[in-house]
Amino acid sequence: MMEAVFFGTLSAMVIVPAVFVVTVKNVFHAALWLVLCLVGVAGLYAMLAADFLFAVQLLVYVGGVMVLLLFVVLLSGKPSDWTGRQTNEKTWLAALFSGFLVAAIGSVVAGWAISSTPAAQPMTTTSGLGKLLLTEMLLPFEFISLVLIAALVGAVYFSAKKQAQ
Amino acid sequence: MIIGPKHFLILSAVLFAIGVLGILSRRNIVGLLMSIELMFNAVGINFVAFNRYVHPEALWGQGFTLFVIALAAAEAVVGLALVLTIYRGSKTILVERMNILRG
Repeated sequence: MMEAVFFGTLSAMVIVPAVFVVTVKNVFHAALWLVLCLVGVAGLYAMLAADFLFAVQLLVYVGGVMVLLLFVVLLSGKPSDWTGRQTNEKTWLAALFSGFLVAAIGSVVAGWAISSTPAAQPMTTTSGLGKLLLTEMLLPFEFISLVLIAALVGAVYFSAKKQAQ
Repeated sequence: MIIGPKHFLILSAVLFAIGVLGILSRRNIVGLLMSIELMFNAVGINFVAFNRYVHPEALWGQGFTLFVIALAAAEAVVGLALVLTIYRGSKTILVERMNILRG
């Protein structure tokens, strides 16, 4: 019972802000709604006994990516870009497609025979994840560091002002 | 009422569809990037839910979600740098105005 209350609260905390993220007019407000949505997702991770991911979600998304997004919202755009219409003419078609997507995935998921009782899991996942990352997932782990370096260099290259010739 | 994997899967499907709706309907490129973040999070919920209910003895789903989060951070860094560069060049953040490659 308690679990259902938690799940209902968290899913409302994810879905309602997500709808505001895509519909609200002011992009800055949309970014602030996105913060709430990401915190809700972190709560879902905690419900699924993924404690390390809970912390990572809060640190990387809410702390890092969102600050970056807010910076860019403030650095780019004229005021006229913010007050005008924020959605295109085909929004009804997009909504129709999204509804179809939910119906399709929902019908597939509803027909699944999947056990709903989780087996016991170790209390913390951090040590297990650390071992996994340094043994079986070592190759993708090294590649992700390469990707992060490339992203850093690329971001500096793209956003640096070009020197006058 | 017992909360099972199907609840999480439906929730993440709804979140993903909202992200798709944002991608298809937003005019502001920063709004598009936010919608992409929503979709990444839907995928992350899926991975962790499957990990919890199908293979609770392994941690591969959570490991992959870590990679998804890292890639989302990298994508946000590069994407936002590109947004700033485009804005500096063409003075707009509306995607339908970014049409200098149009034939």
